[in-house]
Amino acid sequence: MSELEISNITKDYGATRALHPVSINVERGEFVTILGPSGCGKSTLLRILMGIARPSAGEIRLAGTRIDPLPPETRDIAMVFQSYALFPHMSVGKNLSFGLRMKNVPSPERARRIEHALEICNLTGLVERMPRQLSGGQQQRVALARAIVMQPRLLLFDEPLSNLDAKLRDTLRQELVYLHRRIGTTSIYVTHDQAEAMAMSDRIVVMDGGRVVETGTPLDLYRAPTRAFTAGFLGQTNLLTADADGTRARLPWGQLVALSAQAKGIARVSVRPETIAIRQDDTGAGTVTSVSFMGANALYTVGIAGTTLKVSQAGGESLIAAGSRVSLDFNGALHLLKDRELPEAA
Amino acid sequence: MAVVAETLPKARARVFHEDDRLLVSAGLYAALGLTIALPLVLMFLWSVADGWAPPNVIPRDYTLSRWLDMIADPGLLRAALNSTVIAVVVTFATALIALPTAWAMARFPFRLKRLVEIFILAPVIIPGLVVAVGIGQVFLFLGLSYSITGVILVQIVGTLPLMIRLMTATLETIPDDLIHAARSLGAGTVGVVLHIILPLAVPGLLAGGLLSFIGSFEEFDKSFIVGAPVVETLPIKLYTFLDPYSLQLPIASIIAFILLLPALIVFVIAGRILRDDLMAAGMGKL
Repeated sequence: MSELEISNITKDYGATRALHPVSINVERGEFVTILGPSGCGKSTLLRILMGIARPSAGEIRLAGTRIDPLPPETRDIAMVFQSYALFPHMSVGKNLSFGLRMKNVPSPERARRIEHALEICNLTGLVERMPRQLSGGQQQRVALARAIVMQPRLLLFDEPLSNLDAKLRDTLRQELVYLHRRIGTTSIYVTHDQAEAMAMSDRIVVMDGGRVVETGTPLDLYRAPTRAFTAGFLGQTNLLTADADGTRARLPWGQLVALSAQAKGIARVSVRPETIAIRQDDTGAGTVTSVSFMGANALYTVGIAGTTLKVSQAGGESLIAAGSRVSLDFNGALHLLKDRELPEAA
Repeated sequence: MAVVAETLPKARARVFHEDDRLLVSAGLYAALGLTIALPLVLMFLWSVADGWAPPNVIPRDYTLSRWLDMIADPGLLRAALNSTVIAVVVTFATALIALPTAWAMARFPFRLKRLVEIFILAPVIIPGLVVAVGIGQVFLFLGLSYSITGVILVQIVGTLPLMIRLMTATLETIPDDLIHAARSLGAGTVGVVLHIILPLAVPGLLAGGLLSFIGSFEEFDKSFIVGAPVVETLPIKLYTFLDPYSLQLPIASIIAFILLLPALIVFVIAGRILRDDLMAAGMGKL
């Protein structure tokens, strides 16, 4: 039995279906990210988990107990909001003690837990401050401390870092990972930022259009996505159509390549830019249309047989000029996707 | 519109320079003097003048007799007490009634919301006399006329619209996330109202409360029709001093001064309570 079992949850708003039956299992202590573009249903799912929205059908069990009919205040779940949602009329200390007072935690225990939460969130010395006297990063830490002081069974994060600037976001991301390792609370993190998802999660649930597209570890989803949507959403990719026969396939420009699995007829494959080797070759089939030098690597776009490929080359001695003819080599087998058709623009 | 769009970018940016300070403050003080101090001074002069004929810039003879006559009236204190009690009850009752209505207006989308809004504002649009005559008829029937309860009820009709508007505006600024956060931290409906909504509504409640208090204290026409001559509030009492067959200005000045008093007291008290940080805490950063 998993710690959190989401089974066939749906949500309808009138005639529109925001969530198609969604089922996700989360193990105890796991950090799972729900990743998807805006409008994919991830926030709806979070609201249902929290209890501020009711599912139209399905059930949710936390540690074996059914929680979907319960009001939010009786669920053992704490949430960190995108807007921080700190109580503006309460000091940091009051914000932290609010939930404990509501749940009638005795005073000495309260003080001890607040002390601990402040310490692990690097907030020592700010107890007396009002939220408006804090920086964005500090406010987000207070929001986090307010959630973990409850010692909930489940922690929910609703894009908690999206209101911070890039540098602070990186710092806080690392702090979050470290914190999760330390307290080990089962966590669900909702974001549309694939870098955040890959860097933090034990597992990623990719959602699109109210459905779960794919679930897996960051590494598996990046290396071996089974859906074009996943491949395109997690990092950069090239989506190609090939004519397959067994584990070999012919690309539109005639090049023969190996496939990751057996296929027959038209096969759709995903090729990461960094798995393509580019080589200047006057008789090559491709033409470099643009070059961007990024420092650690160079990004090329190559026009070949009417398609455009993205190629990333790391640590080259010299750049290949735009307009040069090139040939491409594929390192290893091309990754076969399960999609029946490819999305228009990858 | 096109003209506006063209001239806008060219407009000189207004920057406050150090040397503008004198000019700006002189202007502000002059405006303050003209609109507040000058009328008060004139009122005071009228109240103590013993005749003030046109050629004189200031009165030639002074007398305190009118002040003393009025203050010596035994009914005055009683009327002031009546007014105070009525104003306090009206203020609290208004807040109590306005809060749920404002909550609904601020939080829930419902059909005909605009219409309800106009309906709420109706007592402000319609002259108090019209309201009072209409209500007076009903109160006569219900036996509420000539009673303090009746005066309180009819005054609430007048103070509710503003309170509801102010509270709606305040409650609209409370983000949903705050309430969701409070609930997920274990607060039930009572906890949310007590610890989150009410504290954050304090600035609106205070502003609305002040206006209701003063509005009730100085209300004349509705109270007069429903309460007079049995229930005497301060304005009713004071207006009876006006004598259409003699010079009105001296007596009117005294009445104005006495009626100004509660407003001043209330604002001073409010200024003490309403410290900056409380205001800011109420409004929040969110």
